[in-house]
Amino acid sequence: MSEYLLLLVSAVFVNNIILARYLGNCPFLGVSNRLDTAVGMSMAVVFVITLASAATWIVQTYVLTPFDLEYLQTIAFILIIATLVQLVEMFLQKSIPTLYRALGIFLPLITTNCAVLGVAVLAIQNEYGFVKTIFFAFVSSVGYGLALILLTGIRERLNVAPIPVHLKGTSIGLITVGLLALAFLGFAGMVH
Amino acid sequence: MLTAILAIGGMGLVAGIGLALASKIFYVYVDPIVVAVEEALPGANCGGCGFPGCSGAAAAIAKGDAPPNICVAGGPSTHAAVGEIMGVAVMETEPEFALPGCSYGFHKADLKFLYDGFNDCRAALLLDGGSKVCPIGCLGLGTCARACPFGAITMGEDNLPVVNKNLCTGCGTCERVCPKHIITLTSNSRRIQREYTTEQCTAPCQRACPAGIDIPAYIHEIALGNYEDAIRIIKESNPFLNVCGRICVEPCELECRRNLVDEPVAINNLKRFVADYERNSKKRIQIPRAPESGKQVAVIGGGAEGLTSAYFLNRLGHDVRLYESTESLGGLLRAGLPASRLPRDVLEWEIEGILAVGIETQTGKALGRDLTLSSLFKEGFSAVLVAIGGWDTFLSQGRPQEAPLPGIHLLVDYLLRHEAGSGKAPGEHVVIVGGGATALTAAHACLAGGARSAAVVTRTSPTDALFSEQEIKTAQEAGITFYHETALTRMMGEGDALKQVELTSMKGEGGQSTIISADTLLVGAGRFPELIYVPREMDEERQEDTGIAWETVLPYAGPFSTTDIGLFRPGEAIGDYKAVVEAIGAGRRAANSAHRHLTGAPVSPPEGLIRRGTQVLSLTAVESVAKVPREKMPEVPEETRIADPDAEIALGYSEAQATKEASRCLQCGLICYRREEGGLH
Repeated sequence: MSEYLLLLVSAVFVNNIILARYLGNCPFLGVSNRLDTAVGMSMAVVFVITLASAATWIVQTYVLTPFDLEYLQTIAFILIIATLVQLVEMFLQKSIPTLYRALGIFLPLITTNCAVLGVAVLAIQNEYGFVKTIFFAFVSSVGYGLALILLTGIRERLNVAPIPVHLKGTSIGLITVGLLALAFLGFAGMVH
Repeated sequence: MLTAILAIGGMGLVAGIGLALASKIFYVYVDPIVVAVEEALPGANCGGCGFPGCSGAAAAIAKGDAPPNICVAGGPSTHAAVGEIMGVAVMETEPEFALPGCSYGFHKADLKFLYDGFNDCRAALLLDGGSKVCPIGCLGLGTCARACPFGAITMGEDNLPVVNKNLCTGCGTCERVCPKHIITLTSNSRRIQREYTTEQCTAPCQRACPAGIDIPAYIHEIALGNYEDAIRIIKESNPFLNVCGRICVEPCELECRRNLVDEPVAINNLKRFVADYERNSKKRIQIPRAPESGKQVAVIGGGAEGLTSAYFLNRLGHDVRLYESTESLGGLLRAGLPASRLPRDVLEWEIEGILAVGIETQTGKALGRDLTLSSLFKEGFSAVLVAIGGWDTFLSQGRPQEAPLPGIHLLVDYLLRHEAGSGKAPGEHVVIVGGGATALTAAHACLAGGARSAAVVTRTSPTDALFSEQEIKTAQEAGITFYHETALTRMMGEGDALKQVELTSMKGEGGQSTIISADTLLVGAGRFPELIYVPREMDEERQEDTGIAWETVLPYAGPFSTTDIGLFRPGEAIGDYKAVVEAIGAGRRAANSAHRHLTGAPVSPPEGLIRRGTQVLSLTAVESVAKVPREKMPEVPEETRIADPDAEIALGYSEAQATKEASRCLQCGLICYRREEGGLH
C-alpha cells in the first residue's frame, strides 16, 4: 500500500510530467486560457493516458519482449496510441455522446501528445507490473491535470492584470510555467 | 529482421482492420448539410446569432429553424454561401457596427477615486460603480476590446475604446460584455428609430430637441469641416434641415450649457449653414436605405409631418406612396410662412430632396373623397399612416361634412348640427372621447336622436369636477355608460365602417382592456393624432360582404407626451404642433411605430425613455470655460428689405463663421463638457 502511496506522491508532485519532465508542453500552453476547457482537457488526458499505458504494456510484454523487438518500442507505441484514440473516439461518439461532446476536440488533439507516449515508455522502463502501470499512468495524468488547472487559474488572472505589451500572451505564460516548475522543485527529495 | 517486419506489419494490419470495422460498427450519421454550413460560417463562435457557437447555428440553419443570414459576423458573402448550400434566396441584412457611447476619458471626466485593481471593467464596476462620477462613464479597462472576437476594438487615447469599422462585424459581443451597456450596436435603421434613454450619454440640447437630432455630433463634424457627415447626422432625425435651419423655434438653444457662461451656441444657424452647403453644392446627400422590406405603406397628408413619415418609412425599407388633398405639398410650411423667412425656392428644394429618395406622390387626392381606407387596403398597402393634422384643413377646403376616417366625427360638428335642429343621432353605438362637459350634452342628444347606446370616455376620475354627481346619476339612468380614467387604445372595423373600439383602464400598471361595439366616435379634440391603420386577419368569406377588416396600431408615446397610453392623449398627440420641428418629431415617431408593427417588433418606446420630468443627471454650473461671443447672423441691408419685402432677411453664416461658432460647442455629455486647456482639469 505504502508503495502505491509513494508512487502517487512521486508522480503527481515530485516527478510531475509537465513541471519536472517537461512533457506535453504544447497543449499545456494551448488550452490553459479558460478553466472549463482546461478541465475538459485534463479529463481527456487522464482517460487516454490510462488506457494507452495499459494497451502498450500488453504489447510490450506479449509482442515486443518475447520476439526481442524492444528497439521497435517507439514506433509500435505510437501506432497503438493513435489507433486506440481513434477507436475510443468512435466508441464514445456512438455510445456516450454526452462525454464525446464534453471531451470535444481535445480527444483527437492528444493523440500525438508526447506525454501519452512518455508515460507509457516510463512505465516500461521502471518495469512496473500491469496494475502498477495502470496506477502510475492514472496518477501521472492526474498530475498533468493538476498542473494544467493550476496554470489556467493563474493565466485567467493574468489576462486582466497590467502586463507590459511585449510580454502578453505566450511570453508571460512561459515565464509563469517556469516559476511554477521552480515551485514544484521544492517537492524534489521527498521521495527516493 | 523478418520478425520485426511481420510484427509491425501485423500490428498495423490489425489496427487498420480494427478501425475499419469500428467505423462500421460505431457509424453515426452526420448531416452533410450541417457540416457544409458550419464550414461556410466564420467559426468565430461569437454568439452574435444567439446560438451557442457556429456549430449550434449550423444545426439550426440546416434544420430550418434559423434563416441563412443569421450569422451577423460573416456578412453578405457568408450569407450568400450559406444560402447556396441551403438552396434558398437570402434577404440582405443591414450592416451594424459597435458604437462606443462615452467620449470623455479619465483625464477629462470627473473622478471619484483612482482605481488600481483587477484590470477588468466587470470587476471595477463592483467598487462603487466605477471610478468616474458619471454613472454611465466608460471604465476604460478594455473588457470590450479583449472580448471582441475579430480584433476590431482597440483602447485608444485616454482609455476609450476605438472601433475599426472595417473589422467590426456587428456581432454584439462587446455590447453583451460591457457591464454598463455603454458600447452598443448602431445602424442606420437603429439611428432613425433612436429615442434617448437614461442609459445613454446625452447633452441637454439633444434632449430638448423635439425631433431628437444628435446635436453635439453634427456640430462636432462641422467643427472638423466634415459637412456631409453633419448633414447625414441631421437627416437621421430630421429631413427638413433647410426649413428647420430657418424657422425652428430652437428649444435646444434654451438648454445649451453655454447659457451658464455667455450665450448659447447658434445650433440652428449651424444647421442652416450645412443645409445651405448641401443646396449650393447641388448634390443631394442622403442617408442609406435599409434593405427592401417588400411592404407598401400609404401616407395620408403632404405636410411636414406626412413628408417626414414618408421619408423615414422609405429609409427603413418600405415602399411609400404619399397622398395629398391639395395640389401642392408642404402644408402649413407653404401656406403659413412669409417668403422672407422661408423662401419658396428653398422649400421646393427641400421637398424635392425628400421625394428624391423614391417616394411616389399623388396630389389632389383626398381621403374620404377620392380614396378610402378600404380602397387603399385593396391596393395592397400593408399600413396606412394618417398624418392629416387638423379638421381645420377640411373646413378651410369647404368640406366640413366629410368623415375621412371611418366612424370618426368631430364632437363640435355634431353639436352644431344638433343645435341647428337636426336631431338624428350620428350612429347606433356612439362613443364620445374628450370634449369636457359638452360630451354629456352630446350623449343625451344621441340617445334622444335614436342611438342604441352612448358611452362617455374620460381620462379623469369620476370625482374630478368634469361632471357633477347628479349629472352622472341622471345620465346613467338615461342609459349613458361612463368609462372614467380610461383611454381609447384601438379602433377596429371592416371596410369603411367602424365596428368596435378598445378601451383601456389607466388605473395602475397594465390596465384592463375592454372591447365595446361602436360605429361612431365623437372626438372632442380639434386636431388628429397620427393614426396607423393596418389590415386585420379575417375569414375570406366574410371579407367578400363587408370589406377588409382593419384595426389601428397605437403609436408609441414620444418623450414629450405626459401620459403614454391611448389615442388622443394629451400633451402630444392632439397634434396642435406649434412648431414644425414638433410635427417632424411626431412624423418620425409615427413612421417608427408603423415600421415596428410591420417588422413584428413591439410598438413601444425603449426602456428608460427620457420624458418630461424624468430626472437626468445634469449640471447647474460650468467652470474653466472662456467667454466667446456668439457669431452674429448676417442680415440683408434695410434698403433691400424695403425694396423687396420677399427677400430673405437672414443670409446664413460664412464658412469661417460656422467653424468658429461650432468650436464654441462644449460637446456636453451628462456631466462632462469640453474644458479649456490648462483649466482645473
